[in-house]
Amino acid sequence: MPQSPDGTGKGAAVSSAPDSFEAEVLTLLPSLRRYSRSLTRSDADGEDLLQDCVEKVLVRRDQWRGLNLRGWVLTIMTNLYRNGLRQQGNRSFVDIDDNNHLPAIEADSDPLERSRLEVALNSLSEEYRAVLMLVVVEGHRYQDVADMLDIPIGTVMSRLSRARQKMTSLLSADNVITLRRPK
Amino acid sequence: MTERNPTVTEADLHAFADGLLPPEKQAQLETWLAENPEEAAAVAAWRTQSDGIRALFAPYAISREDDPDLIAKGRETLPKGKPASRLFRRITMLAASLALFLAGAAAGHFGPNLFARPELQLTAMEAWPQQAHSAFIVYASEVRHPVEVGADQEAHLATWLGKRMNVAGLKVPSLQVLGFQLVGGRLLPINGTPGAMFMYENASGQRLTVLVGHNTENTTTSFRFASNGDIETFYWIDGSLGYTVTGEISREMLQQVAEECYKQFSS
Repeated sequence: MPQSPDGTGKGAAVSSAPDSFEAEVLTLLPSLRRYSRSLTRSDADGEDLLQDCVEKVLVRRDQWRGLNLRGWVLTIMTNLYRNGLRQQGNRSFVDIDDNNHLPAIEADSDPLERSRLEVALNSLSEEYRAVLMLVVVEGHRYQDVADMLDIPIGTVMSRLSRARQKMTSLLSADNVITLRRPK
Repeated sequence: MTERNPTVTEADLHAFADGLLPPEKQAQLETWLAENPEEAAAVAAWRTQSDGIRALFAPYAISREDDPDLIAKGRETLPKGKPASRLFRRITMLAASLALFLAGAAAGHFGPNLFARPELQLTAMEAWPQQAHSAFIVYASEVRHPVEVGADQEAHLATWLGKRMNVAGLKVPSLQVLGFQLVGGRLLPINGTPGAMFMYENASGQRLTVLVGHNTENTTTSFRFASNGDIETFYWIDGSLGYTVTGEISREMLQQVAEECYKQFSS
């Protein structure tokens, strides 16, 4: 049962049974969890941001205009993350945290390559990282990203371009040499 | 972005790489890229990057059993107004635990549980080149006592370090073919466990160090190259052991050394 914008449906928010709004958020959780982790630099930070975001979304449910819930929630999450960083002021702890948390992934991928990629991603500033993740991982169109982040599409393009440039130089293939097995 | 312009813009290339162009435009660009290998290579690199990034975060897109609780908890906080951000509360806690961790490191022994979480294991791997770099800086510049056991006791060096590391038949690589003589070796903590450092020197006095240490993840990787100022490091993992070769010498020379070590260690 979607909330009416005038807030007359408030009673549902305090009932214990999940309503349809909450059910929808629930189905979004996997992709929200992925985006959250792609923004933050550790598993624990990712789960914390996810939980902060769910709280915020439930608080603001009356403001949702009934369209594209996922886009709306991703916007809230991105802003939560940016605000938190600004509030935090001291970025150095985030930076120290950088290398401490790398995701556990399929065993067959090369762990050094994974960690190189992770380190390269962590070197991107938050603005670049958000744009790259929204495009690459969440699969949004450039205009959607511009709307979500409330920036001009030209800014989306320049951030995407610079993020990719930086990643390319950091991951440049001449830093990796294939092992030659001695015979 | 001048979409009507016949020249291809960078924005077009990104859109192509991200599969966001209408099919007809996508085909046009494909033709154009066939004639512009430089841009084609950039686009290919972006696509590889994107695949890697997606693979990195795909495992997070899962439901958890306690997801309904997450919603319920979010609902419970509703009347209480704006809670302090969990994420940044935790970072503050992290600062505290980091201080504790550093204190522990200074005291020379880490609580093993700090390393127990699987996501921390890769840290050790990324730390390989950093540890190698530090060891090189500290010991290669040492004039009087660069090593604990000199080259004159090579056999003893190998058995002693092998015993401390619990590695049967640890070899001291011979790099004479490349002009480097063994200076000696020492015991070093690597990733918190006993590891070995071997030092070599060539006729002109250039030094290089070879580190061998335990690796938590039993795996094998390609050679990786890390540069830190003028000091270059090659590192790789072969089974349960990780190796680094570090020196203030050319990358080509260092690669030869790395390949020689790789050959000798794995034979």
